[in-house]
Amino acid sequence: MDWLQIVEILVFPGLTFFVWVGFIFDWLDRKTQARMQGRRGPILAGPYGFFQPVADFFKLTSKEEIIPEIADRFVFLLGPPLFFAAPAIGTIFIPVLGAAAIVSNDYDLLFILFILAFTALMATIIGYAAGGRWSIIAIGRLVVQYTGYEVPLVVALVTPALLARSLSIGGIVAAQQNVWFIVLAPISFVVFIISALAELEKPPFDIPSAKTEIVGGWMTEFSGRPLAYIKLTKDLSYAFLSALAVSLFLGGPLGPVLFADPTLQSVLYFIYWIIKLFAIGFLIFVIKTALARVRIDQAARLFWMVITPLSLIQLGVIMILGIHGW
Amino acid sequence: MTNFDIMVIAGPLLIIVVDLFAYWFFGRLGKRSVGKGNKFQPFTGGEQDIAPRGTYSSELFVFATLFMVAEAFVLLLSASFASQSYFYPLLFLAGGSGVILIVTWWLMIVGGMRP
Repeated sequence: MDWLQIVEILVFPGLTFFVWVGFIFDWLDRKTQARMQGRRGPILAGPYGFFQPVADFFKLTSKEEIIPEIADRFVFLLGPPLFFAAPAIGTIFIPVLGAAAIVSNDYDLLFILFILAFTALMATIIGYAAGGRWSIIAIGRLVVQYTGYEVPLVVALVTPALLARSLSIGGIVAAQQNVWFIVLAPISFVVFIISALAELEKPPFDIPSAKTEIVGGWMTEFSGRPLAYIKLTKDLSYAFLSALAVSLFLGGPLGPVLFADPTLQSVLYFIYWIIKLFAIGFLIFVIKTALARVRIDQAARLFWMVITPLSLIQLGVIMILGIHGW
Repeated sequence: MTNFDIMVIAGPLLIIVVDLFAYWFFGRLGKRSVGKGNKFQPFTGGEQDIAPRGTYSSELFVFATLFMVAEAFVLLLSASFASQSYFYPLLFLAGGSGVILIVTWWLMIVGGMRP
């Protein structure tokens, strides 16, 4: 591993870049939500409040962190950075400047699935480590929701892999050179977006962190630096899942080739990728603002009775068409 | 081991190291409080009784957590079969087993699942 690879992993197009995308997503989310509700949103930190998520992060890190008496101290303190590590590692498998990511192998989609499962697992563990009654109620909801959305999420992610005959994200992106998989598997895309909302705990699936019902959900007991890290992880997951949707359904950074020079073409690929990423992000912002929270039983019923069968039908159609050589 | 393999393993490890360092660094900015008393009691929502720690037991919670662990293990194991050498199967088996052992041990210690 040389210095250039280290810079790619840690700065661009790796970790630091995705953290900034997460901050921008947070800002755009708050601005979009405010506009839809007839408010102005953040206005103070930077132009149009652009640096408000960054200011919030540093404010939280400098505040007192209180460790509850009944908390499992080791997991309470070490959980948030491990929670952050899951989507942070996932970002280096996302192609940004071309069909190839910084790090890739022949089965990195399965590694991404593991990362998504690990994120939910870490949220459960650190919520349980905190030990408060609201945390316990919230993680009960979290695991019910998780068992509901995980199956359709996995099926929705496997469908592009089946279309591309590859478990590599780079391979899936390369297979979309002519036609995006959102065209061939639109139901899987819809299922992925719905499952992503549940994974991100965004409305209408913000049941584990419903502020008006269970205070701060599984984050209730966290303050200061651990809370800052948890919120940062949520922003990063937001960017990561949107980037994953771009890679699996919208052709990743690929688009029309206008330059013979590879560097200039990489810049163009980056522009294509950014446009697609923010289009997906904006779709999520609007959906989450427009919809009201559902109950946990309604969410479980929706995922098991509607979303999972839909995802399986889409997968079955793709398999049948594949068998007949379409 | 090729440079390709080194990147697959070293990349995530590098991120974890930087992540933990940044977490430690930001920990120097704020104050940390550990102790006993009202300030360190979990939030009760204004109710007088405070739920004791470690007695909570829910079959759904335990089974759902084990579902997560088993799923992570299956994903790791299924990924290992795509490998061309013994290295990744062994690595993934070790990783998956480690996740199961640590989570089960922790749940038994803290009280979510009784031995």
